[in-house]
Formats: sequence, structure tokens, C-alpha cells
Amino acid sequence: MSIIEIKDLCYTYPGAAQPTLRHLDLTVEPGDFLAIVGNNGCGKSTLCKVLNGLIPHFITGTFSGSVKVAGQETLQSDVGSLARRVGYVYQDFENQIVRPTVLDDASYACLNYGMEDYRALGRQALARCGLQGREEEYVWQLSGGQTHLLALAGAVALGPEILILDEPIAQLDPGHADRIYGVLRELNEKWGKTILVIEHHTEYIADYCKHVLLLKEGRVQWLLPTRQALGRVEELRQSNIFPPQVTQAGYALQQQGLLDPAQELPSTVEEGVAAFAPLSRRRLPPETPSRPEPGPEAAALHGVTVAYRSVKGAPRVVFEGLDLTFRKGEKIALIGSNGAGKSTLMKLLVGLLKPNQGTVSLDGTPLRDTKPEALSRRISLVYQNPEEMFIKDSIQADIAYAMQVRGVDRWQEKTNALLERFRLTELADRDGRLLSGGQMRRASLAIGVALNPGILLLDEPTANLDIATRREILRTLRDMKEITDTVVIATHDMQLVCEWAQRIVVLCGGKVVADGTRDQIFGDAALAARVGIRPPEIFAMGRALDQGALCYTVPEFLRQFEGENGV
Amino acid sequence: MMQKLSENILDKFSMDFLRNQVLKNAYGNNDTVIAARDPRVLLVWYLFFGLVPWFVQDTAFLLGCFVLVMITTLLARVAGLVLLLFGVGVFSQTGYLLVVTWLFGGDASAIAPLLVLTLKVATISLASVTVFSGLDPDRLANGLMWFGCPEQLSFSISYAYRILPMLMEEFQNVLLSYRLRGNPPAHDTLTGKIRYLAYQVKIIMAAFYPLMLNTAKRSRTTVEALELRGYRYAAQNKTVRRIKLAGLHLTWDDGIFAAVSVLWVAVTVLLAGLV
Repeated sequence: MSIIEIKDLCYTYPGAAQPTLRHLDLTVEPGDFLAIVGNNGCGKSTLCKVLNGLIPHFITGTFSGSVKVAGQETLQSDVGSLARRVGYVYQDFENQIVRPTVLDDASYACLNYGMEDYRALGRQALARCGLQGREEEYVWQLSGGQTHLLALAGAVALGPEILILDEPIAQLDPGHADRIYGVLRELNEKWGKTILVIEHHTEYIADYCKHVLLLKEGRVQWLLPTRQALGRVEELRQSNIFPPQVTQAGYALQQQGLLDPAQELPSTVEEGVAAFAPLSRRRLPPETPSRPEPGPEAAALHGVTVAYRSVKGAPRVVFEGLDLTFRKGEKIALIGSNGAGKSTLMKLLVGLLKPNQGTVSLDGTPLRDTKPEALSRRISLVYQNPEEMFIKDSIQADIAYAMQVRGVDRWQEKTNALLERFRLTELADRDGRLLSGGQMRRASLAIGVALNPGILLLDEPTANLDIATRREILRTLRDMKEITDTVVIATHDMQLVCEWAQRIVVLCGGKVVADGTRDQIFGDAALAARVGIRPPEIFAMGRALDQGALCYTVPEFLRQFEGENGV
Repeated sequence: MMQKLSENILDKFSMDFLRNQVLKNAYGNNDTVIAARDPRVLLVWYLFFGLVPWFVQDTAFLLGCFVLVMITTLLARVAGLVLLLFGVGVFSQTGYLLVVTWLFGGDASAIAPLLVLTLKVATISLASVTVFSGLDPDRLANGLMWFGCPEQLSFSISYAYRILPMLMEEFQNVLLSYRLRGNPPAHDTLTGKIRYLAYQVKIIMAAFYPLMLNTAKRSRTTVEALELRGYRYAAQNKTVRRIKLAGLHLTWDDGIFAAVSVLWVAVTVLLAGLV
């Protein structure tokens, strides 16, 4: 018997002109690990909220059709009894956690539904989600990845047959992301849960999911086994989904007639080896992107030590004796796992945080005696969370603010120019918070460059964005090369690092453990293993074919197949 | 030197510091003698020390009570900020009158009533500080629930502590946006300093607007999650209430705490010659 059966489901949000889900039919078998993909606004989250009964019981609207989950008709059931069958983890999972300690939060739902052994259930769920030993900790002591596991444990504790996760790894480094998916796989295989994830990291879909469901305009386009689904490159691209780089490479080779068109496209590195190894390749001379002559010093940290106060016990030391220099004109990527101190470093550079020891200097002068507001013409920081940059009620006012209060000449004109450059003119009067993820990010970039700073710091500019929007941001960053001289980006997005950065600084345990070009960083396998960074998949693919290969993008990878017999 | 000092104080009063103090106050001292007490015992204890001093005029008795609550406050290891607020509060209520009277040569007959009033306020405040910051919010909430306060109240108390650090962090970041992008008036001269202060106050008020909007955006998820996690269901369910309260146990130590308090008060009453 199927665990989810949806027949002819139509749903319109209250007040919306268009239905979000249109005549949707779907059957999911128990024990499946299903990835739901689709364009922004195609109804992925709405579908998930239909499954746990929030629609139509909590969020009203026009609802028709039949939805049967674990044998229960959702219309005839209520949110409470459905919550015990379907667990849900939100994309903004921090807001789902309502209790101060870990065990309290994990067992909270069980307590609310009056289960006598709620603590035991909470403990069991924590163990299944890999959080044993942390029961008594406070939720703010957890890292981002652990917080997500806690949100998951809170859902698992009720013992649901189905678990739904909305973009579980959007903000995580690869180490934490693997851990989340490892836990999900165990829940799926060992505990027999049916798992649905909304996900656009297709590399993870390829590695973990059994089936893929493509939603388009509120309808099911298809539901196929993963490899077959990821091979439908054209259809996925139309929905702004980018298949794994290995699949993209295979598809390109098929287009060039080098790979048999009837062959199923590879979706993982192992499958890639099987598909690409027989092809004739030539060894490419290693291509070193020219590193510009080091300019004068733009910003520097000398012997910097920073510690945060902690609620209990000794302060947490982030940096101890850190030395780092950024030079004019550099495009620097700052990488390292969650909690390595990337954000702290940026706050130090703009003077928001003062080091306990050591000096931070800008253009050779120490920051200690300068107020942050005096610095904003020289250095600017774009937060990870763009909402915190919106201090006015329209993005136009937000972009203008810094120029206006400083009485910059022709600030209105400059604001309009910025709106134009970041393609925000149409949205000029909207509140930043109400924009989509990509628009919000563009607006925050425009705010960041408004004063024409010499140094621009970007904290995770591509976090929480789908791949299409990420590409758009990458394009914007390339466009910006002419406006700002020195740019520093803190990120987990290795594709962004490889395609954009000239210099990569790796932070780990409060120290700079590596500093160099992408070849120096990613070429060093021991380093990558030690600090938990992972090059893009296509790099691993190239390496699997040839130990000495260094290719970072799909076109670079494909070049080795263009031989005398190539195109 | 003066500038250094003022900067130092400003540094200490960053949002980061406030946030840390709030958390420390709520959860940082859960291993003290006071935190281990049964919340019901402490609430009854508070009922006495929060009310009785109002109706007694005897200095010796008040002094005795004051010493006791001072000891409990020390035992509860209350965060520094709370004690500072307490000090400022008492002083601004009555303490300054006492000092002024004394400075201007008021005699004992003028000082005594003021001393009594100050003692009363101080005793009651310290008793509140002991109970409300010595106990962690969840135990306090459970204690209140046992006395029949609605579940919503106890949930609000513990949820407020859950959300407060997040709000403060967000507020800090919004303020930082203003600080980075704003252009405050120069503050070298006295008028400049006053203008600067006015500017700061204006910014703090303006920062509430984005904070509220961001919070509203966040709470959409929280409200849905609470619904899924059975919050509304629990509020109407008797079993849940019973399970929650099952965690409250009276121990011998609670008995000793109560006995010592009663004994102390009895001795004070005897010494004061009230009987």
C-alpha cells in the first residue's frame, strides 16, 4: 500500500489569484527517499504542508481533491494526529526550536501529546540523530549543523512514518551536510522512515536519494529513479535545476557525439569513471591563472586574539595570534568549516569587534582609534543575513541611506544607477524583507557598495540560494570587479571559490592553515581531508580519471576530450 | 584617561554583554543552592519576604530579613548586571533621599523613616532577585503552574528566554547596520556630545522597526511549528499538566531551607521584641 496518495489536488492560498497546486496526482511508496525539485514558486513547500495537514487545517484557502497520508485522509484528520505520522523540518529550522535545552526540545512534542515516556522518546530520537551526549546542553551552544539535527530529532521523537525536510543543507559546510544526509540515510534504511527532501544540491540527490520528483507549475512533471531523473538535463535546466557536474559533463559529451546517446548519463563520480574512462583523452598542461602582482597592503591582522564570553566556564577562544594580510586588488575567498571564525574575522576588519590582543590595520593605520562609521567609505561588510541590512522601508531608501546622511554629491542619481546596475529598479519601492532570496541578496550587495568602499567583505553571499540564483550572484560579483578593488568572500560554496577567487585562505581552529591559489589548496588532498573542505565534484571527477588533473569547471574538464578526434 | 574610561564602559555595555548577562542570569547558575530548591517552596518563601516587610515598621526585623535575603542572593550567584540594576533601582527610589538627608545634617528622627523605607524596598527587591533569577525559567514556570497559573503563562516565560538572545543578537546586527552606514555628529565638544547622545537614542528607536519586521517574519515558522508540536493540544490536556508537574519533588534540603528561613525570622522577631 502506498504511504502517500494524492488525487487531483488543487489548492489556492487565501487571497491569491492563481492556484499554487493544480490537479496534482502523486503516489509515494513506503521506504522511499524522495527528492522534490522544481523552480522557485512551483509549490514544493506548499505540497509538503499539505502532507502534514497544516494545509488546510491551519492555513486555509481553497482546497479540493483527496490526500491520503499513512492511510489517513488529511481532510478528516487534524494537525495533531497527522503530526505523529509526518515530521517536518523547516528551512529556517532555528525558529522551530522553542525550548532552551536539547533534551527538552527533542521531547517537547511528545510531552505535549501526553506521552508518559516523553524523555525516553526524546533521548532515543537524539541518539538516532547523532546527538547523544548533548542532552543537557543549551540550544545556543550548538553549531548550525547540530541545531538542524536537533530540529530533526524533535520531529523524529514522535515516531512518524514520514519525514519531510525543506532544504536541509542550505547553510552548512560539506562536513555537516554529509552528517545530516548520513543520519537521514540511516533513518531511511535502518528505521524504515519514508523521507522527502526539498533539495537543489543535485550532487546530494545523486548520492542519497532513490527517486526524484519534478514539480512544475503546481503539477507533477514526473517521478523517476534518481539516475534516470538526473539524466534529463534539458528538462531540469528549464526548471533552473542544475544536474551534478558529472552528469552535465556526460551530457555535453553526448552532444558532441563522444558518448553514446543511448547510454544512461552518470550521476556520481564512480559512474563517471565507468563512462569516461574508455574515452580517449589528452593530458592538458596545467593552467595557472595569472596571479596579479601583489599590491600594497589593504588590510592586515597581526597577532590577533579574540575570545567570546560564554554563559558558563571559560571564554571561547576564536583566534589566537592570528596573522593575515590582504593586498590591494586581490579577490580572496575565506573558507573553513562552520565556526572556524570567518564571520569573526570580517567583524574585526570593519571594527565592530575589537581584538583582545593584537592589531587590525587598514591601509597601514591601526583601527583601534577609528570609529566604525568613519571606516565605511574604506571598507564595507555585507551580512550573511540580508534582512539585517534593511533598516529603511524600501530598498531605494536603504541604498541611498549611507550616501544621503553623508551628503554625497548627486546621491539620488547614484542610487538610481545602483538600482539599475543590480537590476532592482522595478523593486525600488518594495521593503527588502519581502523580496525573494536572490533579489534580497542583490539589494544587500547594492547597499554594500553604495559608498564605493576600497574593500568589500561578503559573508556567505550564496547561502540559501538555489543554483540559478547563485549563478546570478556570481555574475553580479564578476560585474563588480570594476567597482571595488579588493573583495573578500567568506563561503562554503566551492564552485564560487573556484570560479571567482584568485587567492584562497583556509581557516581552521583559529589559524590560517593554508593560503594560496586554487591549485595549491585543492591540489593538496591531505589538507582538504584535515580541514573538511571539498572541491567541486568535477574536480574529484578529473582526479578519479587522472591523479594529476586540476580542473575546476565543466568546460575545463571537457577540454581534455577535445583531441584530434574531437570537435 | 577620561575618554579611555568612557570607552571602556561603553564597550562593556555592548549588546553582546547584555545578551551574555541575560543568559547567564537565566541559565548560568543552575547548580547553586537556590536553583536546586523546589520552585513551590521558593514561591511561598517569596510570598513572605515579598509581602510582610511592607507591613512591618521595626528596623531590627527589617534588618534581619534584609541580611537573610542578601545571603540567599549571594547563594544564588546572581549575574552582576542584575545586582547593578538592583543597586541603581533602590538608590533612585529612596536611597538618594537618605544620602541627601544625611549630607544636609538631618538628625536621626529624619533618617530613621527613610532607612526603614530603603530597607523595605531593598529586602523585597532582593527576595525577587533571588527567586526570579536564582531559579531557571522552566522550574519557575512549573512552580507557577502548580499554583494554578495558566499553561500559557509558564510557556511564555520559558519561550521568552529562548527567544530573547536571538532578538538581542538581531537587534545588535541592525544597530551595527546603522553604525556602519550612518553618519553620527562629531562629538568633540559638549554640544556635539549631547547631539551625539540624541543621535544614539534616535538610532536605537529607529532600529526597533526593522527588528519587529524581522521578528514577525521569523515567528511565522514558530507559530506553525508550535501547532505541529502540539502546543495548543497540550494547553487543554490534563494529562500533560500532570506529567509536567511530576518533575517537582520536595526534598530534605527544601525542608532545611524552609526551616532555616523560619528559624531566622523567628529569632529576628524575638530580638526585635515584637512579641
